[in-house]
Amino acid sequence: MKFSSPLTILSLLLLLQQTLLSAMADTQLIKNTCKGTPSSSLCLKILLADPKSQHADLTGLALIGVNAINNKGLKIIKQIVALKKSRPELRPALDHCAEVYHAVVDADVPSSRDALRGGVAKFAEDGMADSAVEAQVCERSFGEHGYTSPMTGSNNAMHDVANVVRAIIRKLL
Amino acid sequence: MASSSDLENPNASSALPYSYTPLPDGEQTAEPAVVLHPKKAVAILVCAFLSVGFLVALIGNSGPLLPKNLNTNVAPSTVATPAKTTPLSRGVDKGVSEKAFRPKLGADNSFPWSSNMLDWQRTGFHFQPEKNWMNDPNGPVFYKGWYHLFYQYHPDAPVWGKIVWGHAVSKDLINWRHLPIAMETDEWYDEQGVWTGSATILPDGQLVVLYTGSTNESVQVQNLAYPADPNDPLLINWVKYPGNPVLVPPPGIDDKDFRDPTTAWKTPEGKWRITIGSKINKTGISLVYDTVDFKTFELLDGVLHAVPGTGMWECVDFYPISKQAENGLDTSVDGPGVKHIVKASMDDDRHDYYAIGTYDAYKGKWTPDNPTLDVGIGLRYDYGIYYASKTFYDQNKNRRVLWSWIKETDTEASDISKGWASLMGVPRTILLDKKTKSNIIQWPVEEITALRTDATVFKKLVLEAGALVPLNLPAASQLDIVAEFELDEATVQRLNGADVAYDCAQNGGAATRGALGPFGLSVLAHDGLVEHTPVYFYVAKAVDGSLKTFFCADQSRSSTATDVDKSIYGNIVPVLKGEKLSMRILVDHSIVESFAQEGRTCITSRVYPTKAIYNNARMFLFNNATAATVTASVNVWQMKSADI
Repeated sequence: MKFSSPLTILSLLLLLQQTLLSAMADTQLIKNTCKGTPSSSLCLKILLADPKSQHADLTGLALIGVNAINNKGLKIIKQIVALKKSRPELRPALDHCAEVYHAVVDADVPSSRDALRGGVAKFAEDGMADSAVEAQVCERSFGEHGYTSPMTGSNNAMHDVANVVRAIIRKLL
Repeated sequence: MASSSDLENPNASSALPYSYTPLPDGEQTAEPAVVLHPKKAVAILVCAFLSVGFLVALIGNSGPLLPKNLNTNVAPSTVATPAKTTPLSRGVDKGVSEKAFRPKLGADNSFPWSSNMLDWQRTGFHFQPEKNWMNDPNGPVFYKGWYHLFYQYHPDAPVWGKIVWGHAVSKDLINWRHLPIAMETDEWYDEQGVWTGSATILPDGQLVVLYTGSTNESVQVQNLAYPADPNDPLLINWVKYPGNPVLVPPPGIDDKDFRDPTTAWKTPEGKWRITIGSKINKTGISLVYDTVDFKTFELLDGVLHAVPGTGMWECVDFYPISKQAENGLDTSVDGPGVKHIVKASMDDDRHDYYAIGTYDAYKGKWTPDNPTLDVGIGLRYDYGIYYASKTFYDQNKNRRVLWSWIKETDTEASDISKGWASLMGVPRTILLDKKTKSNIIQWPVEEITALRTDATVFKKLVLEAGALVPLNLPAASQLDIVAEFELDEATVQRLNGADVAYDCAQNGGAATRGALGPFGLSVLAHDGLVEHTPVYFYVAKAVDGSLKTFFCADQSRSSTATDVDKSIYGNIVPVLKGEKLSMRILVDHSIVESFAQEGRTCITSRVYPTKAIYNNARMFLFNNATAATVTASVNVWQMKSADI
């Protein structure tokens, strides 16, 4: 096509404007969604980390949140495996942590995904509420065995993300 | 598998008032090219406008989304430590030391959960499948001599998932025989889940079921199913109507806000009528459909009822209750001696609410007697854990019976360890409270008393202020308890009232002492009360001399475990002049069901002790009031286990 043709320029401008406007609209959805969550900055970080958030509806954003929980859970499980080697004395607490994080990744996450896709978000809310509690359970298990937790950062992060995602999901009810 | 023509025209032969619009396939249509005038001037003008628009769009973006100094490391938040409630001193008391009430941590914590502790949690006489997950009760019905219970069941894990209809039968609502899965996710229209539904018995004895299917594309539709062999009293096999779905979301209703069809009732025109909960924005509503054959339906204008701000109405239930009689009524009964209940499960807060009102059969509308106690904002069936409940008319014993889903309040990790999650509450009969007329009363079905064995009776025990009395029982995990309490009149009379608000959930539980309460029973208690679950009355006297009675169940010290819910539940209970305070408690391992004043206020609790289990479970009678003496009489029956 002739680059300088007015028709070309016009079409290009229209396309660019359309893209910009639609991107703005979705960014607005993300911003509004993150308002009224326990941490809007954490919420934005989670959602914007996934490029799909740009064109997602509220259910899509919630699913992105659940994916974040899943990814974090899987990372933490790897961390637990490594700690079992480097800190064998922490084994009882680490075993308990593995158990609870498997509950998050093997039960809470799939259940929450199914619930969000099916339009029964309440089960997804329960899944995220449970994930937050499981993180606390892991953290406490060190103290119960008389040790300082080597996982405080991870457990707190999981707890905080789960509460943010729970707040996003509540907007779907 | 469905062909695309099935999706687009599910009922070729029927005259649906609306069409099933195929779901959008997600493609964006390309913008059509603008037709240009050959005149350059116009072209330049249009370009200019667009450029301005482009710039406005660019500038209009209200700044960066992320603050420039976004801290990528989450500031360490304090992981919430368990509330270490230190109860108030009991003052002059009968030999209980302060130490007894303080929950001990450290060496006394026995985590993770041992299989001993988890095994104890399974109930003796509450309906539950052998393993995995259950939620809503479905299609309860009495048919050819058997009580049927279907239920939302996830066969693969103790967590919600792709749901099928579990099935069990009973002769007495207490002992159950588990049957094969009644309906699986084997059609496109219920591929993502065979969700909640209800049964209707037609006058000729035919049984039909309407249930919600979550389609292969997660649209909520209503489907018809019926027994493969109506002569099989066990109703083992089911047939899904080939023309399903019979209902799809109507215009204006979201694909995911259309579920849980009710039992049908007769209209004055002789048609069948059902209602289905939904929402429009945040207004909870109940849609009304008429049908003659359960295959084609007519959507009525408007709704049965709506209440703004209540959100999605799940598991709507609609039924008549008699103003005078002490029996239940068939769902189709109407007339001057009848009120109608509208009940809904509120998605927003996971509680079941009901209201008493008047049904206009001609208009298909219902109005609450008291709009301030409307559906979703007024009375609840139960002030504890109780959701997705459903009644049925039991024509065998002429009563209306209520079933409800009782979820776990422990962690998913525990549910995975023990291999199961959720119970049904003990079925309850429902009647209008003929004395107050403004609430219903619920009572465990009489058949449950067949499980009572050894009784221990305590007559007129006088409990002075601060008293704590251990009750000597052979065991304390499976009990049926009936107790009566009387406050000493003299103290009640001479006491100066105070207008201080009391709320079961907010006021600190049984350890918070008032002049006239709390007093009651502490169940699933450990020696030394390291763990215990008080169920109690708290009486408050107002400045004008009137008394308000609260009925609460306190889980705050129910377990030394820190990963279980420790809320305190309860509500006001109406007490009429001359009535003694009475409570009934069913203790069944990890579930406690409490009833006050013959069922005016009910509380279901989940309790997960680590120590107050097996032979170490105890029960105490207590009066934690500061001023009044309480006289208590208690009958405690051991409960046999049922076939569950």
